[in-house]
Amino acid sequence: MAIKPVIEMNKVSKIYGGKTENQVFALNDVSFTMQEGEFIGIMGASGSGKTTLLNVVSTLDHPTEGTVAIAGTDITRMKARELSDFRAQRLGFIFQEFNLLDNLTVYENVALPLSLQDLPVHQIMDRVGKVLEQLGIAELADKYPATISGGQRQRTAAARAIVHEPALLLGDEPTGSLDTKNAVGLLEQMKRLNEQQQISILMVTHDAFSASYCSRILFIQDGRLVQELYRLGSREAFYKQILNVLGDYGAAAAEAAAKELSAVEDRG
Amino acid sequence: MLMKLALSGMKSKLKDYLVLLAGLVISISIFYMFQTMAWNRSFTENNAVINSIQLVYVLGTILLSAITFFYILYANGFLLSLRQREFGLYMVLGARKDKIRKLMFIETIVLGMVSLAAGLGIGFGLSALVGRLMAQQLQADLTGYYPVYGPAIGFTVLFFVALFIFSALWNQLKLARMQVLQLLHGSMRADRPWRSSGWKKVMVVVGVIAILLGYLSLTFMEQLREIGLFTATIMTPLGTYLLFMAFLPPLVARLKKSHQLRGIRAFTFGQLSFRINELTKLLATVAMLIALGAGAIAGGLAFWNDAFIRGETYRVYDATVHDPNEAETNVLAGIPFKERFTYRYKLDNEILYYAKEDLESQRPLVHSQQGRDYWDQLKRVEDPLPKATADSAGKAVAGESANSSAGGVAGESADGTAASADTGIESGVEGETAGGIENGESLSSDWTTFLWQIAPTNLSYSDVRLADNVQFDALEAKEQIVVIGRTDDFLAYRSSWEKLDQLAMEKSEGMGVTWSKYENYQRALGISSGTMFMGFFLGIAFLAMMASCLMFKILSGAAKDIQRYEMLHKLGVRRERLSRSIYTELLLVFLFPGIAGLLHVLVGMRLFSFILAEPYYRLWLPILLFAVIYSAYYFITVNLYKRIVLR
Ligand SMILES: Nc1ncnc2c1ncn2[C@@H]1O[C@H](COP(=O)(O)OP(=O)(O)OP(=O)(O)O)[C@@H](O)[C@H]1O
Ligand SMILES: [Mg+2]
Repeated sequence: MAIKPVIEMNKVSKIYGGKTENQVFALNDVSFTMQEGEFIGIMGASGSGKTTLLNVVSTLDHPTEGTVAIAGTDITRMKARELSDFRAQRLGFIFQEFNLLDNLTVYENVALPLSLQDLPVHQIMDRVGKVLEQLGIAELADKYPATISGGQRQRTAAARAIVHEPALLLGDEPTGSLDTKNAVGLLEQMKRLNEQQQISILMVTHDAFSASYCSRILFIQDGRLVQELYRLGSREAFYKQILNVLGDYGAAAAEAAAKELSAVEDRG
Repeated sequence: MLMKLALSGMKSKLKDYLVLLAGLVISISIFYMFQTMAWNRSFTENNAVINSIQLVYVLGTILLSAITFFYILYANGFLLSLRQREFGLYMVLGARKDKIRKLMFIETIVLGMVSLAAGLGIGFGLSALVGRLMAQQLQADLTGYYPVYGPAIGFTVLFFVALFIFSALWNQLKLARMQVLQLLHGSMRADRPWRSSGWKKVMVVVGVIAILLGYLSLTFMEQLREIGLFTATIMTPLGTYLLFMAFLPPLVARLKKSHQLRGIRAFTFGQLSFRINELTKLLATVAMLIALGAGAIAGGLAFWNDAFIRGETYRVYDATVHDPNEAETNVLAGIPFKERFTYRYKLDNEILYYAKEDLESQRPLVHSQQGRDYWDQLKRVEDPLPKATADSAGKAVAGESANSSAGGVAGESADGTAASADTGIESGVEGETAGGIENGESLSSDWTTFLWQIAPTNLSYSDVRLADNVQFDALEAKEQIVVIGRTDDFLAYRSSWEKLDQLAMEKSEGMGVTWSKYENYQRALGISSGTMFMGFFLGIAFLAMMASCLMFKILSGAAKDIQRYEMLHKLGVRRERLSRSIYTELLLVFLFPGIAGLLHVLVGMRLFSFILAEPYYRLWLPILLFAVIYSAYYFITVNLYKRIVLR
């Protein structure tokens, strides 16, 4: 199988704030390429630009500079309608927060990507049923998001993200609010999707255990890609490797955190 | 410290507060508008054609108070929902609950007072503006109506101060009973699926009975009188509320169920069913307000139409001009008559002679029957004309007449007897008719009525007779003519009729009255203009209140909806599809109360049947008017909402 690039980011910058205000470089000259079938993790301190990177890739946000191509298409040139259709058909999302529509049941939430494409009902029921089963939330089908736990919500979001078998799955801390057992369940699920269905996955995470499921990790700091790590051996070895890298950045992160805290205290 | 925090919290939700404030201010100003009428007893009694107008206002005040009460309570709930998350956070951080309750109390009262002041100010302006506009438009005399009216101010202030204190206490109670977590997660709610239960069935039954009672009392208002007014006022809203509460949620639930896997429609109905429980009461209120508003306007218009109907009942022909002079001829020439006849007559020896040939060849239209119910049912006079009776020979036996008229008239007669007593025409005495003729010898009643209508009002005569051409020419007196004409649309040529009346007055040098159809119409209009004014004034007030209710409801929920639309956008739903979803959702929200309200109006118009000849005449006009305004309002709301949720 010829390996094709899914994501090609070329010198992408994202600057928040106008010219007069103090500008924030949420992304600063980021370039990387993701091949089809890769499972990439993005790690970095809070506020380092992870979500911004994901938003740019997911066509939700426009980069200030640079180009982003997905599956060979330059999304920075696409029109709003094309972007919508592109997202609906090719991408799956698990967001950091507010994942579900609170006015729809779990079942309806999961079915949404399919029903939005006007698939025949029996096909929808088929696939939704399967996914709910896989993620262990079949019993919750008729409940509303407000009445289920945070972890159940996250799994529902995951189910919705994969139900239409997207080409690229994007996750912003998908395991963030899950306990270990549920986290493992979700990660295994993602791994299966990645290996069996060749779905490319780009996932933001702050936790080394989740990251160890990836085949490659990008480390981001203050909007810049500072290091990448390929998984060569077993997952356990990779996990240790990640911890090491995090340890190096840990000192810097602690420093930043201390700075932030004092800033908060100054304000208060 | 807590005060400061609370203030900054308010600032961050300025938009929501503005929506809230606008809603309160509008409801207060409209309540006040209504009161300027309700408390101005001398004005309403002088201007209404309805006897128990004061009772109407008392009941109206009760109804409006009830509606306002629920509206304010609802707005107040919105205020609490704006704040509860923040208050919950303060409590988590250690703020004492009684402090928070005090804060909420102060906030409610302050907001109430500010909106009361603003509402009264706007109420003054609105009353003056609407009053002036209406007076101009209807040429109604509004002496005695005061836009700034002491008793109305007093009552409005009293009512709303009480209401705000009540709702402040209500909020206290709610706050006291809520746990911190409930406060924190106040905005997260689950949709309770609709379940049929015993008391819901009772609700349906009671609702149906109430609506039927209401409709019955509206229909038989004439017989039931004051009791009917009471029952209608209480039962119709009660039935509306109950039925909305009983039928809307399951209906929406069914809609949702059947579109569960239909993509964006699943979302649309999900959205609707999510809020339908709290929407029902509001939609029922809106339905009532539509009924009251559209009903008041339709009532006003019905009084307007009534003047027209009176005119039509009075005369079939729009213009009646005797011996038109040059100016009158010119005016007549400028009017596109559908039918225009000229009749010759002579006054000889106290007897009015009409040229029979003219009548024969230009048979006029008359009402098919007497009475107001038949104002628009016309027929051509088919009755044969009696034999000409111009000279004394005419009084001889029928067959004797050498030149019996072309129509082959059966008999002869001086004239009929059916003419009204106040016609000014001395009807020929029955006995005057020459004997020996069996039937049809007199002028038929249709002819009599018609001849009376075209008779010259400035001449006095004791008898009316017909004359054939020979006889007519032989008469010594001056030949005069009367021109009558009928147009398609009496109201369209009002200025011409006015001009003709003026010219007629000039001709008679101020002596005598014109007795024209136009004058009659104007007089009828004058009598009902006060009622018309009240109808339009209140109609506008109610519709504005309806608009404010609906707008408030939709905009107050918009902030929470932003997230949902954002989510759908992220999932790749095109903007147009989201926009269509909004159109559909709000269409349903607008449709239910719109239909219910119009149904009430259709039944409610029966109410006027004891004052008006035809309350349903041209009802499509106010309904169309309402439909246009309501649709425009729908599009405005959709666009406002879209601007908020689809950024
Ligand atoms: N809409 C915005 N306007 C201005 N600045 C923004 C905006 N969104 C993000 N930022 C800034 O951009 C930087 C990167 O934000 P981003 O959300 O990507 O961080 P993150 O890595 O996802 O953090 P976390 O792990 O806490 O989610 C931060 O400094 C943030 O303050
Ligand atoms: Mg983030």
